[in-house]
Amino acid sequence: MKELSLHILDIAENSIGAKADFVRIAVDETVKEGYISIEIQDNGPGIQKEMIGSVADPFVTTRTERRIGMGISLFKAAAEQSCGAFDIESDEKKGTRVKAVFKKDHVDTAPVGDTAATIITLLAGNPGLDIRYEHATPENSFFLDTREIRQDLEGIDIDHPAVLEKIKELINDNIGSKR
Amino acid sequence: MNVKELADKLGLEIHAGKQAADRDILGGYTGDLLSDVMARINPGTAWMTIQTHQNIVAVAVLREAACISITGGHRPDRETVERAEKENMPVLLADDNSFDLCLKIADLKVL
Repeated sequence: MKELSLHILDIAENSIGAKADFVRIAVDETVKEGYISIEIQDNGPGIQKEMIGSVADPFVTTRTERRIGMGISLFKAAAEQSCGAFDIESDEKKGTRVKAVFKKDHVDTAPVGDTAATIITLLAGNPGLDIRYEHATPENSFFLDTREIRQDLEGIDIDHPAVLEKIKELINDNIGSKR
Repeated sequence: MNVKELADKLGLEIHAGKQAADRDILGGYTGDLLSDVMARINPGTAWMTIQTHQNIVAVAVLREAACISITGGHRPDRETVERAEKENMPVLLADDNSFDLCLKIADLKVL
């Protein structure tokens, strides 16, 4: 992936495919000098204990249309090839949490990229989905929660183009569009 | 031209997946960003990469590549070799970098 935001999109789509209707996406560029942490957490049914050790094995998947799954495999490899780290936790009651840490100045670390586009794409394709998006940079700390946004919309759908455009502006105004 | 003929002509070792070396090569691609390779290669591609992780076998199998050539003297991980054997995906090893290997393939005038 040329941008980390595309990994986020891919992992969140896994969550949606697993019937999650809430995804928390947290990008933190302040945890440790020179590192970016990306966490994607869902309220899906979780991954079976027997599967958790092999989720990053591309030949292990619950897919039925094809027998190879690449999302987590690529995310883990991207973190590890740039001196970062990867971790996954899953619980049948709490859902799944995927976390990867990237070393910012490593030459193989992709830029964070267009996270606003990722959020918008997720919402546009899945109007029933709620997202809490948190993004902390040394300059600013920002979050948006679609559960709160929905309350202000008074009946307008969250995937209405004008709403999506507003959400995109809100994100880019807070964290910058060029990342 | 099939994978075995290509390996013979270029003097490349078929390190894994020999059993599938009679597969025809229909084109080529060079790339190390797996998401890009996954989106762009066609069935029958001879794929040149410096990546050595087992994810390369997954991408190659998924996209029905003819073979993987690991270039630049890099060596595949153990899991990669095991997986390539199991999935019948030929893995060739080249000391040349991807560019030089492509030049040699071009010289063969077969693709």
